[in-house]
Amino acid sequence: MVYDIEIWAKVAAFSGAGLAMGLGATGVAVGEGYTAGKANEGIARNPEMAGDIFKSMLVGQAVAESAAIFALVVAMILLFSSFTADSFITVIVLFSSGMCIGFGAIGSGIGSGFPAGEACLGMARQPEASTSLVTNMLIGSAVCQTPSIFALMTSFALLFSNFSQSPVSPTWAAVLGAGLASGIGAIGSGVGGGLVAGASCEGVARTPSTVSLLTKAMLLGQAVTQTTAIYGLLVGFILLFKTFPASDSIVPAMALLAAGLCMGIGAIGPGIGEGSTAGSAVKWIARNEDSSGVILRMMLVGQAVAESTGIYALVISLVLIFVV
Amino acid sequence: MNELGKLHQLIIPFLGHDMTFNIEPIIMSWIVFAAILVFGYLAVKKRDIIPGKLQVIGELFVDQLSTLAVDSLGEEIGKKYAPLTCALFMFLMLSNWLGIIPHLEEPTKDLNTPLALGIMGFCIAHYMGIKVKGFKQYMSAYFEPIFFMMPLNLIGEIAKVISISFRLFGNIMGGSIIILVVSYLTYSIILPPFLNAFFGLFVGTIQAFVFTMLTIVYISVQVQ
Repeated sequence: MVYDIEIWAKVAAFSGAGLAMGLGATGVAVGEGYTAGKANEGIARNPEMAGDIFKSMLVGQAVAESAAIFALVVAMILLFSSFTADSFITVIVLFSSGMCIGFGAIGSGIGSGFPAGEACLGMARQPEASTSLVTNMLIGSAVCQTPSIFALMTSFALLFSNFSQSPVSPTWAAVLGAGLASGIGAIGSGVGGGLVAGASCEGVARTPSTVSLLTKAMLLGQAVTQTTAIYGLLVGFILLFKTFPASDSIVPAMALLAAGLCMGIGAIGPGIGEGSTAGSAVKWIARNEDSSGVILRMMLVGQAVAESTGIYALVISLVLIFVV
Repeated sequence: MNELGKLHQLIIPFLGHDMTFNIEPIIMSWIVFAAILVFGYLAVKKRDIIPGKLQVIGELFVDQLSTLAVDSLGEEIGKKYAPLTCALFMFLMLSNWLGIIPHLEEPTKDLNTPLALGIMGFCIAHYMGIKVKGFKQYMSAYFEPIFFMMPLNLIGEIAKVISISFRLFGNIMGGSIIILVVSYLTYSIILPPFLNAFFGLFVGTIQAFVFTMLTIVYISVQVQ
């Protein structure tokens, strides 16, 4: 049996599609299960609200599902589009784009389950605040999707860029690294953003009058939490669009792969950490509205310090790309 | 599908360098400027104690965003930067909404627009930092907690510009790619209007607000 490049491209497309949908389904399922659990808790507390809670559970789960739908779209494209495989790079590109959206959908899926769950529980505790809870939940979980949108962008950029002019040797590692950086980098920020949004929904249920303050604090917290996912996207884009000189040595290729891994894995921790900082801040703003100014300032400082490890990862991966 | 990533560029040689203009974002930004100017003119044409519809919308923008600026920057600086806050939000929101009209596209889809606005915010923040705290105290902030943290603090400041502009660019570009690909896969049946409403109107408004708020917060971090 002779395996030519076309066959390998098919193999890569199939395994990429499998990874995309398999990994992409994991996080979303966890998030949706959390939502449904909290909805049950809410119904047990306040059975009269069962209808409303059921509706908002479905809406929340539908938004959480969008991360899995992104993965589904990429998997479909990988399965049913025909790609012209002109070099070994195409093989890696197909695999990498599937892996990227697969990893990228995990965080946002888990994360957007939290606000939906807390909103369901909150509706049971505070039926009058239902409308503002649903609005707050929708805003929160829409922002939670941002990291998975970043991963999706890298996926599509991988699929639709033209690499036929690039040298095979370091470029294969660069495209694999781009998928890793952007995909794995999105996990932490997705979960972290969910923690913030969940805390904010809980806060709205506790003190409905603070809703506009809480939404603002939540957006700020989530925005800062996403910073490391953006570093992942940045490293991914640099790896994708920078042209690397051809080389037969394995060293530059490994440096590029390591750069992607470094930024991807390095972004997980700061994402979750900053999310829990902002989550606690938002939670306590709801309980102590008057000190919101000092709490927000403290939150920003704390997040900046937590983010410094993400900046170390960014610095090292930029050094790996541009210096080594 | 092939129009993905295609861009019309105008390249003018100038003093030995090639100056590249991306035509579409420029024209689209002008459309947004024109729309805001027309809105502003119509909103204040018949000012009255009992406001008309447009005047209510205008007052809503001004009131909400000035409150945001004053809350985070304090009375004095906040009043000074309220017009900027208002203009930034209205520009970004309309920019992000522009993509729902066929044949028009969001100027924020091109990285240059958010990057320019991000650099603007960066310059204002650091100018205000030096002006309010004095140069010495401004510089000493970089040497905290220990002096050798200076390079990392510096990178952290520059990373703020990157993160604020990539966040907006990524959301808008990602949304428009999803709309394009899904429309292509479903032959533009049923789904695209909902996607446009979600990514254009909903996410666009949220991201415009996030960008505006972060710009204000970056200024307030430098000032305090």
